[in-house]
Amino acid sequence: MLTLAAALLLLGRAETYVFDEARQVVTDMTAPLLEIASRPVSAARRVVERTDEYAYVFDENERLRAENARLLAWKDAALRLESKLARYEALLNVQIDPAIKYVSGRVVSDNGGPFVDTVIVNVGREAGAKSGDGVVDTDGLVGRIVATGKKASRILLLTDLNSRIPVVIEPAHYKAVLAGDNTDWPKLEYLASTSSVSPGDRVVTSGDGGLIPPGIPVGVVIQTSDGFLRVQTFSDRDRLDFVRILKYEFPSQIDRQDPPAVLLGPPVESKPVERVKPAATIPGAPKPATPPLTEGASAPAKPAKPAPVAKKPEKKPAPPPQVLPPEATPAAPSASTMQPVPDAEEDVPPPEEDVVPGSQDTPGTE
Amino acid sequence: MARLESYTPTPGARAGRIVLTVLPFVMGLVCVLLSFVPIGRIFGTSVMPAFGLMAIYYWAIVRPEMFPVYAVFLVGLLSDLLSGGPIGLWAFVYVLTYIVVLTQRFLAMNAPFSVFWLGFLLAAIFAGLVGWVAASLFYGAFLPIRPIVWHLLATVALFPLFALIFGRIERRILPSG
Repeated sequence: MLTLAAALLLLGRAETYVFDEARQVVTDMTAPLLEIASRPVSAARRVVERTDEYAYVFDENERLRAENARLLAWKDAALRLESKLARYEALLNVQIDPAIKYVSGRVVSDNGGPFVDTVIVNVGREAGAKSGDGVVDTDGLVGRIVATGKKASRILLLTDLNSRIPVVIEPAHYKAVLAGDNTDWPKLEYLASTSSVSPGDRVVTSGDGGLIPPGIPVGVVIQTSDGFLRVQTFSDRDRLDFVRILKYEFPSQIDRQDPPAVLLGPPVESKPVERVKPAATIPGAPKPATPPLTEGASAPAKPAKPAPVAKKPEKKPAPPPQVLPPEATPAAPSASTMQPVPDAEEDVPPPEEDVVPGSQDTPGTE
Repeated sequence: MARLESYTPTPGARAGRIVLTVLPFVMGLVCVLLSFVPIGRIFGTSVMPAFGLMAIYYWAIVRPEMFPVYAVFLVGLLSDLLSGGPIGLWAFVYVLTYIVVLTQRFLAMNAPFSVFWLGFLLAAIFAGLVGWVAASLFYGAFLPIRPIVWHLLATVALFPLFALIFGRIERRILPSG
């Protein structure tokens, strides 16, 4: 028996198809049992967590109030940036990634002992999971699927010795590979020697390889007591419960999106052309030092041309000029020459009244 | 003079006998399954004891004839298949530990529980060491020690509870023992 076990160990090194199939069959058979057994565990955990929450309810309330105030400011900034980004994407005809479909499941097993970090989730091939799919929870990336059965799949967690995830370290966009080593904090490999990564930097997926979509939060860089940089993952492997399996398709398989025939914006109530030169036409009025602008807009790098229009990228006979949304008015000269990143607008954010809910739906692409 | 009739067990008695014979093995399998139920997450930890090792040690000391070496192998193999780790790792570790425990069985057989527990501590350390060396060789790297230490500590700490349960089951189903 000892010899047989040793022989299995050596044969298993080759990772033969038979072993993988046997593993999947056993996983499929035991997953329902584990799911039943894990339900009371989940209920007990909720009771424990609830008790904790009651004990710290006042502290938690204070913390959430402060966080809410901070997030409201972030929401404002995010809405502005979303609007701006949508406009730029429309101007540049960016091939926007399609929405990622996902399927949710529950982790029904514990990690597989002290030498591996894998868990079983009750979603299998029948639900659309496939090997290589990324798995996230509410905090961030959890890992990826390495084997699927009919009704259950195995997730390789980020901390496992065999886990390798291509990541990007923000804000400088350094690329690296997040490599697990069975410790709590995966390490960063293949980081360029010239990169200056410091603790606190955010780590997100890079999307390289096409298996996991880019931009999924992974963790933050920390410095361990021995001086090495590692990553504290956002997801907590000790508290895994419900997870999402991302059914991500590599963008190359997506149909090409043709550029919009005409860039259109939401209806403009006022007449921006007239607003450019009202004061200059008043006889006797003092001449302003700078050309008058629309309300609240900052001065562009160059004086604004009188016709704030945006043309199509193709050099065709000039289409009927389409007026951009009000916030784009000062930047229109740049947009008309297909340099849609005006410096002045980058430096100074648009005024508050530019951010209206109606302008979030990709202005200029109607 | 009345003749004694030869004893022929009824089918029910035969079935009961078979159940009793395989019960320790089934308990070993259940222990392996239990070690994959995320009980530790109730307390926010993923450290799980090796329940399978407890069953193997207990039955190796108390009734090795009811938990033969091939049963130990199968229990270890189930653990390997469920864990996602190297196939044969826990089968190898459990079989080797079982053989070593059998050779030292007489020391803990009729000893007080503290000696029985101490023997389990030594068996767990041996199993952990063998497992760590085998896994490190398999992966070609020195694996971190901390997970296996926590794993063994949890296993040894919970052993009395499971020994109590095993003992009760043993007395209930095997009163002749």
